[in-house]
Amino acid sequence: MVAAVLGLKFRTQRHILRREWWRILIVVSGALWAMLVLPWSVWAANALRDQSGDVREDALVAVALVVSIGWVVVPILITGLDDTLDPGRFASFGVRARTIMPGLVIAALLTIPVAFFTAMFVLLCLSWLDAGVTTMLIAVIGALLTVASLVFGARVASMWATRVLASRRARGAALAVMLGSLALVAPLAWVLFRDGLDAVLEYDLVVLLDQLALTPLGAGMAAPSAALAGDTWGAVWRLAMMVTWVIVLLGAWRANIDYSLVHPRFRGAGTRRRDDSIVGAGERQWFANRPAWSRLSPIAATVRARLLRYWFSDPRYLANMLGVLTFPVVFFVVVMPIAGLDARWSFLAPVMLAASIGWGRHNDIAYDSSALWLDVVSGRIGADVMRGRMSAVMAWALPATALGCLAVVLWSGLWAIGLALLAACVGVLGLTLGISALSSVVVPYRVPAPGENPLGAEVGSVGAGLVAQLASSAATVVVLPLVLLPLVLALTVDPRWAWLAAVAGLILGPVAYLIGVSSAGRLYDARSGKLLASVT
Amino acid sequence: MSDAALPPAAISLRALTKRFGSTLAVDAIDLDIPSGSFYGVVGPNGAGKTTTLSMATGLLTPDAGTALIHGIDLWAEPEAAKPMLGVLPDGLYSFDRLTGAELISYAGLLRGLDRDTVRARRDDLLAALDLEAAGRTLVTDYSAGMTKKIALACALVHAPRVLVLDEPFEAVDPVSAGAIRRILVAFVASGGTVVMSSHVMALVERLCDRVAVVASGRVLAEGTLDEVRAGRELEERFIDLIGDVSDQRDLAWLRQS
Repeated sequence: MVAAVLGLKFRTQRHILRREWWRILIVVSGALWAMLVLPWSVWAANALRDQSGDVREDALVAVALVVSIGWVVVPILITGLDDTLDPGRFASFGVRARTIMPGLVIAALLTIPVAFFTAMFVLLCLSWLDAGVTTMLIAVIGALLTVASLVFGARVASMWATRVLASRRARGAALAVMLGSLALVAPLAWVLFRDGLDAVLEYDLVVLLDQLALTPLGAGMAAPSAALAGDTWGAVWRLAMMVTWVIVLLGAWRANIDYSLVHPRFRGAGTRRRDDSIVGAGERQWFANRPAWSRLSPIAATVRARLLRYWFSDPRYLANMLGVLTFPVVFFVVVMPIAGLDARWSFLAPVMLAASIGWGRHNDIAYDSSALWLDVVSGRIGADVMRGRMSAVMAWALPATALGCLAVVLWSGLWAIGLALLAACVGVLGLTLGISALSSVVVPYRVPAPGENPLGAEVGSVGAGLVAQLASSAATVVVLPLVLLPLVLALTVDPRWAWLAAVAGLILGPVAYLIGVSSAGRLYDARSGKLLASVT
Repeated sequence: MSDAALPPAAISLRALTKRFGSTLAVDAIDLDIPSGSFYGVVGPNGAGKTTTLSMATGLLTPDAGTALIHGIDLWAEPEAAKPMLGVLPDGLYSFDRLTGAELISYAGLLRGLDRDTVRARRDDLLAALDLEAAGRTLVTDYSAGMTKKIALACALVHAPRVLVLDEPFEAVDPVSAGAIRRILVAFVASGGTVVMSSHVMALVERLCDRVAVVASGRVLAEGTLDEVRAGRELEERFIDLIGDVSDQRDLAWLRQS
């Protein structure tokens, strides 16, 4: 069975590479990057060898901590796991978890990232080269156990996240966990802002690392330090804890596989009943008596109503919606205090939020998957479809961005530039959504279909849609200075620039949005016979 | 009688061609589907039926050739041609986060119907297709047959002149299939045109008055049902045209004793 599972994985990957040869470029550039990074591990290990055992321990535990966060967070928030071996796909074969588990474990270990991190951690063990053979041996065992715990921990984390997001009932719980983890970061930020980076590095961080060295996160890397200090028992129990931890993670993974083998995701959970809220959609437009030019046509209002339903009920859209918080929150809560940035930098957070939302829609229509046919056969209605789609994004993006601006202004006390910030964010949102509307029609690419793992990439699609992502990012980078430059000048040179920032944002944003959406609508009609083929 | 006096064919395809990589999926198909006919398109798996119907309904741009709907070029004037078509594709998702009722409303409003008309037709369709109980649940919770019925309702809601249905009876239970048959027969009797692809020969023989047999992206036989089957069962004629499975190997190991 091991051979069958592994064969499946490698054959799938070979077929994908044969169909889409450019993926090899991504693999090659990743390998080049790894080759450049690995010599640095040797250099770091050599430098650490001049330090005391405690310092080496702290440094290595810190590396393990950062890498662990990366292994857990990256698959959940950004790229998505390669789901070639998604256990759910084995559900129809009637196999048991015990049968496919060995194959899945070996397949999970035989990947390029695992090879890279194994090499990196083993090379870092060279720090203990001067401490004798036993310590080196302990270091290597500890490093290998750490890598194993990263790999299995990442699987468990993303399978749990998928399970939570997949069930309609548990979605509230997902939101609570998300907010809860943000709340956990808050005390850290508070300490950072209070004491400054130096003090934190000198005292709090060391205390934190020493504590982590007692947990499975750092114990593997800390074991050689204990051995060096003559604490044999300390080294032994740390390694024993790591072995137990790896076994626990394997058990949790296996429990998850057991679960997904008998719970195919494709059937909804429960049958909620609701009245038809689509047919009345256009009748309850916001400000029902607003001027005609600003109203959505009945068709656009219908499309908007459907998209709003999706935004608040489809796990794929929800994952997207939560994902846009990543950059602004990390920047505000982690980067700003650690780098000791001035309060004015906080204005970057809502700008990042607006840009993440806007850029994030660069593949908007692909999320309809093949259900897109209904829009296509309904006539030449591209302009209405695109207006409806984008105004559904605006419906939550504008309030979210405004809230972000308000929060930052309250926190920084820079009221004088508050309006300029809001205007610049409107500008950023308008520009990025305009670009995204175009890009989603011109270069759409496949995403997980409805009901599939919202966090999964399309089979083996690391870097899929690279062209679309690069092109829309490049366009974004080119146009954003138009609205951001006056804001920067207002913050750094003279507050009077704020007026220009306000005018630029409030004019350029809506104009770019309208131009982007209406040209996207025309392109939608012109390309309507190609859209379905490119998203399925 | 001059050509102009003839009622234009409901659908006429001219040299319609589609290539996927090295595979020629549809090879310059010419096909005229007379107005008011109940037209069956049959063919083996991978024959190019779905590709052809996709190109005839605006879902897939042809590499070459034209598709006329009642004389109007679909790809040149989609705004005039698409309103005449009702489409039921096979194997594509529906917007499954909407309820059945909402999906019909959505389809109706996208076709430009006013809200009151949509409300009335939605309720009629839910009743006629025996979906009233399911109208308020999400399509994602539907069985395959129910999904098919709701997609059919979406194809009917704007009262098109031509219905293009890809496998409309697949996974549908006998009672609902009877209801769908009655709806389609009445539609044709009132002057509408139905184009239906199917693998079930008995169904095609029972419903259709004209048939086209398609294989490898080409039309092998076309005409009235009697012309095509030439005095035999449609299924026999079909296997003659397509060729039977060449290696009819005996699966001896499958025998129970």
